[in-house]
Amino acid sequence: MSQPMLHKLPVAAYTSQEWFDRENELIFSRTWRYVGFMEDITEPGQYISVQAGLNNIFIVMGRDMRLRAFHNICRHRGTQLIRAVGKTQKALTCPYHDWTYDLEGNLISVPDEDREFDGIDKSCLGLKPASVDLWRGMLFVHPDPEAGSIMEWFGDVEPKLGPHKVEELPEYPEARITYDIKANWKIVVENYIDVYHLSHLHSGTLHMYDHANAEYGFVGPHFAFWEPPSEQYGADIAKNTPTPLIIPVEQAGAWVPMLFPGIGLAESENSWATFIITPLGPDLTRIENRVRVANASSWEFTKQSTKSYAFWRNNITGKFEADVDKPDDPMTGGDFTAEDIYACEQQQKSLKSPHFEVGPASKGESPVTDHQQVILNWMEQQS
Amino acid sequence: MKRDFHKITVSDTREEIGGMAKSVMFEVPEPLAATFKWRAGQHLTLRFTIGGEDVRRSYSISSSPVSGNPLRITVKRVNGGVVSNHINDTVKAGDVIDVMPPFGGFCLDTGATKRRTHYFFGAGSGITPLHAMLHSVMVAEPHSVAHLAYGNANADSILLNDSFEALLQQHPGRLSVHHVLSAPSMWSGFSYWRKGIVDKAAIAALIKENPPYAQDAQYYICGPGGMNKDVKAALMSMDVPASRIHMESYGGAVDLDNSIKGIAATATIKMGGTDHAVRIAEGQTVLDAVRASGLKPSFSCQSGVCGACRAQLTSGEVHMRARMALEDDDIRKGAVLTCQSVAASAKITIDYDA
Repeated sequence: MSQPMLHKLPVAAYTSQEWFDRENELIFSRTWRYVGFMEDITEPGQYISVQAGLNNIFIVMGRDMRLRAFHNICRHRGTQLIRAVGKTQKALTCPYHDWTYDLEGNLISVPDEDREFDGIDKSCLGLKPASVDLWRGMLFVHPDPEAGSIMEWFGDVEPKLGPHKVEELPEYPEARITYDIKANWKIVVENYIDVYHLSHLHSGTLHMYDHANAEYGFVGPHFAFWEPPSEQYGADIAKNTPTPLIIPVEQAGAWVPMLFPGIGLAESENSWATFIITPLGPDLTRIENRVRVANASSWEFTKQSTKSYAFWRNNITGKFEADVDKPDDPMTGGDFTAEDIYACEQQQKSLKSPHFEVGPASKGESPVTDHQQVILNWMEQQS
Repeated sequence: MKRDFHKITVSDTREEIGGMAKSVMFEVPEPLAATFKWRAGQHLTLRFTIGGEDVRRSYSISSSPVSGNPLRITVKRVNGGVVSNHINDTVKAGDVIDVMPPFGGFCLDTGATKRRTHYFFGAGSGITPLHAMLHSVMVAEPHSVAHLAYGNANADSILLNDSFEALLQQHPGRLSVHHVLSAPSMWSGFSYWRKGIVDKAAIAALIKENPPYAQDAQYYICGPGGMNKDVKAALMSMDVPASRIHMESYGGAVDLDNSIKGIAATATIKMGGTDHAVRIAEGQTVLDAVRASGLKPSFSCQSGVCGACRAQLTSGEVHMRARMALEDDDIRKGAVLTCQSVAASAKITIDYDA
């Protein structure tokens, strides 16, 4: 019997540990990895580390305000313990045996070097460098120190993104959330880029935009998507927007790209958000959302919220009428994220059924099958 | 590469900063276009006969190779300077001048997908190579930005400022120009960034106000006297690694390392595809010995600045008294400045053809 397929990929690609391990190695350990917002490191000596597939990468800022990235592996025992220390934090150290490195990763001190070692060549024991860069207000790392310019990776898709000056928009910290979805990361991506579902699963929640006039497609491995405001919302955006505008009103619309691998953005006339997908297991995926909004006073936010109140009260609903017996039903709450999580988790469950079989993909689902092809191509090219 | 003088016609000249400097544009004939193709930051060596003397000087090319502008040098008058004043006083369109092809390792090569933050620190006529580099970045490296700290005495002595003003207009958000004036005129309406010189405080302020966005940061220095050394030291005290700092001196004080005197030696000189045996006397430079033997190597400044006498050391050892024209990487690969090299082993081989 042939193995069951989800369009172009075998069901095993969404359920097996073997596929998960291969993707972690071939995709997530070999591409630019989102770390956070540029505001996360602004002072010399500040550092953070991030898991990028199989690599743990450490970023630190020098007094020249430039970031350096290293693999978080002490060259002594390989311990993942590196941290910046000292009053001016000019040194990086591993607390296990206090081996110490300078900000260029050179090993500068080994405790009791003369007594404990019969001569070691410190010049061969520097931290292994990685690449780091900023793009669209976000920090990225790449495990390869010779990864080249980040524009070689994102440059072609950038013109398809929004006109936002991302660096000028402050973060709205209350909107920062991390949550897990019990589904394979590709199910989550496919949900994010499925254009067909917008008018259906989200019929009550996402009708500010005109899905029928969406423009979308892949640029290399990256998915680009744009849609204009709906007639009803667009009739008076200055009034209907729930928060102050961040781009000129005549450019209003939603740019919702899914950059490879699993780097989702949601850029609209009133907010700019990240949707970062990290696979934790074959059927478990972490989502990190962070949001930027207008650089405006809280009074202006209050005013805009009041102005737009009627529009949102009258227009946002759950897909179905609320049922008093099921107060937590995601299909009635009016929250599109809850609707998506629910759909992804129900999709993942279905893959276990011996009777699982998919029907034809719609035109609006072409991004789903295209993403599956991107995965197939990438894995073939890398292995 | 063989570096000979070629007769090149001046296509135009332009007076700069009220006659205190002059830009000289060259019309390179088509057959020489490849020979005179230049990299931003390189210089030209010119030869004149003034008062019966053969004099040579190197000047940085001030135009960008990717801007569509002609090959151009911008020469500031030096007090008592024979050649700089000769150029300012006499050179005009139509003149034919002996010019050696572009040369030098202090370069900025652009890349269309490169994304870098370029910091430029210049003063006085040291701006000329930096201008070529900065203009190239604006034209041919669209994802990169540039920040310039530019020291001068006062608003009237700022070379090429009209070009920087135009670049600021054409590339908003990609370029910042910070004028540092040591003796600003009280009567001038010119708005400048700081009073003083491009020193450690100015460098720290520039970087603090303009931290690198693109994380591939590069630093270029070109100024008079001890400025290069001082700026480099200031950058390194802020954790900038030496590998990201690029500099060239254009005259003024060069620290000579005379710690090794040079021994008598026998040299094998490869030139024009032939090996020549040349005796080097104790304390004599390789260039002097080679010229004394009747060979005609190219050379110009004889102070280690221009790089015209560069050759490859393929065996033996030499000591270089000065090495401003070479980057550390060149030296690792065996490049030597023959005008600054004395023998440090009894047998050496120097390849001028490499």
